[in-house]
Amino acid sequence: MAQCVQSVQELIQDSFVPKVAVLCSEDAQKITRKNNLNFSELLRPFCRLTSEGHMRDSNNQVQVVKNLRISVNNVVTRPSVPTSGVHSPAQRRLLSEVVSASQPAEGGVANVITAGDYDLNISATTPWFEAYRESFLQSMPASDHEFLNHYLACLLVVSSSEAVPVEQFLKLSQEQHMIQHNGEYTNPKWFIPNTLKYYVLLHDMSQGDEQRADSVYEDMKQRYGSQGCYLLKINSRTAAAGTDEQIPDPWSQYLNKSSLQSQVRNPAMPCDESSNRQSINKGLRFNHTTPALTLVLCGRSCKLLDYKGKHSCELPSDKPTRRAKSLQFYTGVAAGTSHGACLTLNDHNRLRLFIQEFTFRGLLPHIEKNIRQLNDQLVSRKGLSRSLFSVTKKLFGGGKVPEKSIAELKNTSGLLYHPEAPELQIRKMADLCFLVQHYELAYSCYHTAKKDFLSDQAMLYAAGALEMAAVSAFLQGGAQRPYPAHYMDTAIQTYRDVCKNKVLAERCALFSAEVLKSQAKYSDAATLLIKMTSEDSDLCSALLLEQAAHCFINMRNPMVRKFAFHMILAGHRFSKAGQKRHALRCYCQAMQVYKGKGWSLAEDHINFTIGRQSFTLRQPENAVLAFRHILTNDSQQTATQQGAFLREYLYVYRNVPGVCEVALPQLPLPCINSSATRVYFGHERRLAEGEKQAATHVSLDQEFDQDLAAVWQDLEEQVVAAANRGVVPSTFYPTQCCLNSQTDNLHFPLAVVEEPIIVEVAFRNPLKVPLVLSDLSLLWKFTLKDFSRPQPQDVMVGDAVTITNEKEAIAPRVRKGKGGIPSVCKFLTFSLLSWQARLKLLPRQTGQLTILGLVYNLASTPSTGDSTINSNSPSVRGRQDLEIQGPRLNQTKEEKTSVSHGPDRRLDPTITPPMPLLEVFFLQFPTALLCGEIRKAYVEFCNVSHVPLCGLRVASTHPDFFTFGSSSLATPLTPLSPTSFENCSAYKTLATPPGATPGSVTAVTLVSAADFGSGGGGVFGTGGKRVAEIPLGEGTLTPGESTQLPLWLRGPDQEGVHEINFLFYYEGAEKGGKISHRVLRHTVFICASRSLSVRATACRSNTLPEEEGRNGSMLVFVDVENINTSEAGVREFHIAQVSSSSKQWRLHKCINPAENKDCKLTTRERGKLCFRATRCKPHEATSKSLEKYTFADLSLGNEQIISSTTPCADFFFRRCQSSESWRPLIAVETQGRHSRSQGAGPGGGAEDITGVVRKCNEVDLDIIVLWKAFVVEDNKQVILEGQLHVALQTIGKEACSLRQKEEAQEMVLLKFKPELPPPMTRPSMEQLSHLIKTNLHYPESYSHSFVQKSLCMIPVILTLSNCSLAQVDAIIDLRHKTTSPESLEVHGSFTWLGKTQYKLQLRAQEVMRLPLRAGFLHAGVYNLGTPRVFAKLADQGAMCETSQQTATPALIIINST
Amino acid sequence: MLTRLKTQVPLFSMNSYTKLGEKLKLSGLSLASTHSHVIRLGRHNSKMAVCIAVIAKENYPLFIRSVPVQNELKFHYTVHTSLDVVEEKISAVGKAMADQRELYLGLLYPTEDYKVYGYVTNSKVKFVIVVDSSNTSLRDNEIRSMFRKLHNSFTDVMCNPFYNPGDTIQSKAFDSIVSAMMVQAS
Repeated sequence: MAQCVQSVQELIQDSFVPKVAVLCSEDAQKITRKNNLNFSELLRPFCRLTSEGHMRDSNNQVQVVKNLRISVNNVVTRPSVPTSGVHSPAQRRLLSEVVSASQPAEGGVANVITAGDYDLNISATTPWFEAYRESFLQSMPASDHEFLNHYLACLLVVSSSEAVPVEQFLKLSQEQHMIQHNGEYTNPKWFIPNTLKYYVLLHDMSQGDEQRADSVYEDMKQRYGSQGCYLLKINSRTAAAGTDEQIPDPWSQYLNKSSLQSQVRNPAMPCDESSNRQSINKGLRFNHTTPALTLVLCGRSCKLLDYKGKHSCELPSDKPTRRAKSLQFYTGVAAGTSHGACLTLNDHNRLRLFIQEFTFRGLLPHIEKNIRQLNDQLVSRKGLSRSLFSVTKKLFGGGKVPEKSIAELKNTSGLLYHPEAPELQIRKMADLCFLVQHYELAYSCYHTAKKDFLSDQAMLYAAGALEMAAVSAFLQGGAQRPYPAHYMDTAIQTYRDVCKNKVLAERCALFSAEVLKSQAKYSDAATLLIKMTSEDSDLCSALLLEQAAHCFINMRNPMVRKFAFHMILAGHRFSKAGQKRHALRCYCQAMQVYKGKGWSLAEDHINFTIGRQSFTLRQPENAVLAFRHILTNDSQQTATQQGAFLREYLYVYRNVPGVCEVALPQLPLPCINSSATRVYFGHERRLAEGEKQAATHVSLDQEFDQDLAAVWQDLEEQVVAAANRGVVPSTFYPTQCCLNSQTDNLHFPLAVVEEPIIVEVAFRNPLKVPLVLSDLSLLWKFTLKDFSRPQPQDVMVGDAVTITNEKEAIAPRVRKGKGGIPSVCKFLTFSLLSWQARLKLLPRQTGQLTILGLVYNLASTPSTGDSTINSNSPSVRGRQDLEIQGPRLNQTKEEKTSVSHGPDRRLDPTITPPMPLLEVFFLQFPTALLCGEIRKAYVEFCNVSHVPLCGLRVASTHPDFFTFGSSSLATPLTPLSPTSFENCSAYKTLATPPGATPGSVTAVTLVSAADFGSGGGGVFGTGGKRVAEIPLGEGTLTPGESTQLPLWLRGPDQEGVHEINFLFYYEGAEKGGKISHRVLRHTVFICASRSLSVRATACRSNTLPEEEGRNGSMLVFVDVENINTSEAGVREFHIAQVSSSSKQWRLHKCINPAENKDCKLTTRERGKLCFRATRCKPHEATSKSLEKYTFADLSLGNEQIISSTTPCADFFFRRCQSSESWRPLIAVETQGRHSRSQGAGPGGGAEDITGVVRKCNEVDLDIIVLWKAFVVEDNKQVILEGQLHVALQTIGKEACSLRQKEEAQEMVLLKFKPELPPPMTRPSMEQLSHLIKTNLHYPESYSHSFVQKSLCMIPVILTLSNCSLAQVDAIIDLRHKTTSPESLEVHGSFTWLGKTQYKLQLRAQEVMRLPLRAGFLHAGVYNLGTPRVFAKLADQGAMCETSQQTATPALIIINST
Repeated sequence: MLTRLKTQVPLFSMNSYTKLGEKLKLSGLSLASTHSHVIRLGRHNSKMAVCIAVIAKENYPLFIRSVPVQNELKFHYTVHTSLDVVEEKISAVGKAMADQRELYLGLLYPTEDYKVYGYVTNSKVKFVIVVDSSNTSLRDNEIRSMFRKLHNSFTDVMCNPFYNPGDTIQSKAFDSIVSAMMVQAS
């Protein structure tokens, strides 16, 4: 039970007060009317006595009466109406109005109760309940079984202006007597037969003759005694007197609050109003003739009430506007007719004095006298034993009970005892004692009476006595008597079950609950209150349930859930009783308990009810909020229920007036996954246009891939670096065309004017019913900014002009605003779980755009289930904002410890001035290639913007895949138009001269790598290796212009599918814009299939350099194998040409040209080609042309492909790069070391040996195998061309065109320390043995006449050539080594003559001839290859000489002639 | 790891089924021997429990099922309100006695139409069974055995490695146990 303003004691005392009736003469009425009050109203504020009264009880003991209040009421006579146990409809209406008028104060005191994990915000007080209770108790009808609200006295009021006041008094007295004793009226009821009559002479100070009044009063004193009459002087203030005097108005609080009930119960009509009242209420009989107000109200009171209520308290709660108006009206009336206008403070005091005088002199003595009388009567009767009395009563059947049987007794609440019956006398005495606060005596009397009534089976009387006994026991206080709670329970039960008197039962229960509450027995109180609820009165039940709920929450261990449940029950009853506000309040309070605790069904129900109630109470915001909860929570309701919720919600929404005009409401459905919003800048891509294939770029259909994004960013960085002379500017920020949750959204994205911005919004429908969205458009805000011209002249446009389409979006049709950004409208329905919508904005001016949210119409599909969109289905227009939370910050410690999020500027693009826009198309772009295949394609660059474009570059992940040709030598020779290309070779060819032998060198060309963009000054050198400038005609593309360029492609060396990324970079002609550059992405997938595998080895030839006139030569063996397995496709491969490219070597000649000219290879065949390679001419290898490459073409067919031109050379150089990039460190290192060792000359370290030795074996010859493949495609034979590269590094080591598969990397151990560089290995013996090449020159056969001369001397020349680039010391030992007797036998028969051991020093690459002489003794075949050569590097003193490769057997035939 | 789990799960659940079956049989026997008249009466009553709910320690529903489906809301309210009494009863038992506390809480409170019984596991998961007031055949013993069955089945649910504690129960086995308790074969 909620806290109350009054304490229990006060409540009970105030509920039972001595009642005093008033009878007024007409003139007296007139006097009081001046104050807008009738007499009883006039007295009402002064009815509580401030001073203590004293009276003596029967034992002559003084009893103090404290804080007594009397109730003064006009006499209302009513014909005999049987008292029923229920309220009349009028009373019900009255109570209902009292309750609805009392609403919780806005922002009133609400205390927070914490119970467990619940924090509840509950208003501690329930003023509506108190108002109800007060009103209820005051409206209690006077009944026969109790006398507490019977009139004890009657004030007879007569004006002093009356001609003969005494006569008037007599009249009134008779009137009173008639009312009491006539029997015509059962209402009002009188306590005692001889009611105290108190004569009041009312004197109007403003007009009456005071002396006359005094004299009349004197006369009255004579007649009635000084204690029975009073002269009351009022209206001492004349109307003319200063109105500025502030007089408190004590009436307002009584009359405002409870004017209604007092009016109804005491409808003392002002006389001046009576005439028109009569005309309104025909049933109203107003007796002018009698001074007393005899007003008959039989069921008409309600009508009167209606009339009165119009400007008082009848506040139709569901009509706020009218209510406000009526309130205003009411206050206006109140101000106009203030009460007590003619009364001064002095008059107030007089009134107060009057009441005091009346009470202490008149009323209390009267009561005292009556108590004594009654006591005497009772004592006199005590002589007879009560029990005996009852026995005789039963025995003789006489007495008081014979009229009615017991059965009748039980069923009736009507009169049972005669009013003068002794049992009732006890009760009367008890009541009198109770009224004057003599509770002890009252209790004993009640107790006695109770016993009597019970023994008589007078249940109603007994219940009344029980109730009052319990109450007086409680009020006695102290510990004398424990409160008999069971008395109350019995009383309630009796009232309700036996007597069927709901009203009395309710009153009893209210007291009982209040008492229990004061004793902190909340549980009992709650049970009692719940028990009292019934189906009869919804209002009463609602109030009681609410109080019960409060009891639960006030318990020592608050029962929160019970509280909530009973609140809901109360709310339900309130709504049934039409108390919508209270119902809503109850549900809202209960909601606090159910909210977010997982009891979704209950929560939904409450929300739904709150929504409905709020809607009927014209609180659309709350209604919408409540409905929103039902729809947004993951509802477990069935689909039909959800559909119903949705329709209800839409209905509420649409019927809320004024919502759509001001600002669009936020819609709860469907859910928008804000972070999944993607923003795309640019046009939607056309993917293919005829045979043209557009660059793929970025589209919204692609999934975001972090790795791929990194690749693109890397490419962009490279190309930007290339464009900015190798430095990436600090302001560089990678271009992002499509923003999503994973991209870096810290910066404001840049969008270009006249280029669309596409926003993709992800929706999710949490319901099981489909939603219909239509007229979807974006909400945006745009601030105009002119980036290009910051001059003040342009202020016209205004820098801070902000436009938004929020207003326009309210109307369902989207108009083009000043900003000119139309939104795309769509009409769609979906019941899918998730769905994306793409909306496009086209900015027309530069500035700052902010995308705020979405506007759309939401509707539900008709309940029938068919998904066809009914255009008439209710739809509402609303918005949802897009608010994207950035990623969580986790950098600093502060950010780590707290949860903070960074900004996300995805939706705030800056619109920049126009930029060029490139479109790239590819023509005849293949999807599948053979490894190494060369294909020509065309690429078209198209500037589709209105701004010139320049600085076009391309970066790629596979730079060796394509070439645009070298700028100097390229295009003119190849046909430009793609159509004429069809059957033409991609290569530049020359017909072989007819007489030439295949395989002989036909052309040798010297080419600088720089021409192909590979050298130091080329395009490649500037940025990354993967960036190429695109040779545009003038370097710029004017608006609308397009250029076609040829493009050569070479199939990747590795088979499989390759993803090749191109990044086209371009800039605007004007520098310094917000966007420095733009990029266009393109991704192709090339499927490479196997073609040929080429392996090559190089061998040192033993021929002497002189022979060829060059410094050394080499044999190159080329193994070619057809590894293409698809027999259907490729029929055969022809090796058309083998070319070489090197700085030092060139292919010289084919040694084994095939007979049928071409070298053909069908599937799985292999062939071997042998070539001789020679060093380039010395003058070619000068330092000047050191960087030049020599290309030598050995054509095996009938036409020569000029390998030194585009595209062959292009791909050759590109391959170099890529292979360098594969082994970049070693190459650089060795080169560097080389130059050092050369510069330093002798005296280097061990490192030099390795270098020298390696250099000695280095070849650095690249073989280019050019092939043709005959392929059958669609029953047509197609010739494909291609080239394969083999790089020969060292002599004797096999090189392969296919890069050897790298070792699987997975098993590498993790290393935490940098590995030590491998120790410098000494060059192996084998390597060192190649330092010096030896050769013997001698005649093959020699005839000698041994007969003539026994010794044959033959000169032999030993040629030593130093292969290395360092000085070498050589020792030549000619002595035979006698290794075996056999060898001695065979070879020992010749001997070297002359010096047999030489020590020589050879400079770098020096060739030395050493003349030797051999002496033979016999004819025969001899092996001259016996000299052993030891060599060591000159500067490596410590190193032992190494025996050089033994010369091959050199046989000489000596013939004997 | 996963494969091990996979092989274990069916084994495990099979065990639990057999265990459950034994228990069902046992309880059925005891019912038949001691309260044969009860069973006879019960058959006329087509329903045993009208609502069975499992409520998490934090007082949100893990499982709730009621027989007159259209009255579901009412049962939700009833069960939710009963939690107050459950908490009161738990807190009434002293801290020291908490571990010897009986799981069965008995009648929580009667409403006009229903009787609400409660049961709290050691992990403070609450079982609530609502029975029709007119159903006089159900004695304390039957309610107890119903709770025991419910507890066993709930334990099996909790043992499922794929069940995430705190989620709503969607086990078919549990569902069938509950259904068996709610609608008696007749």
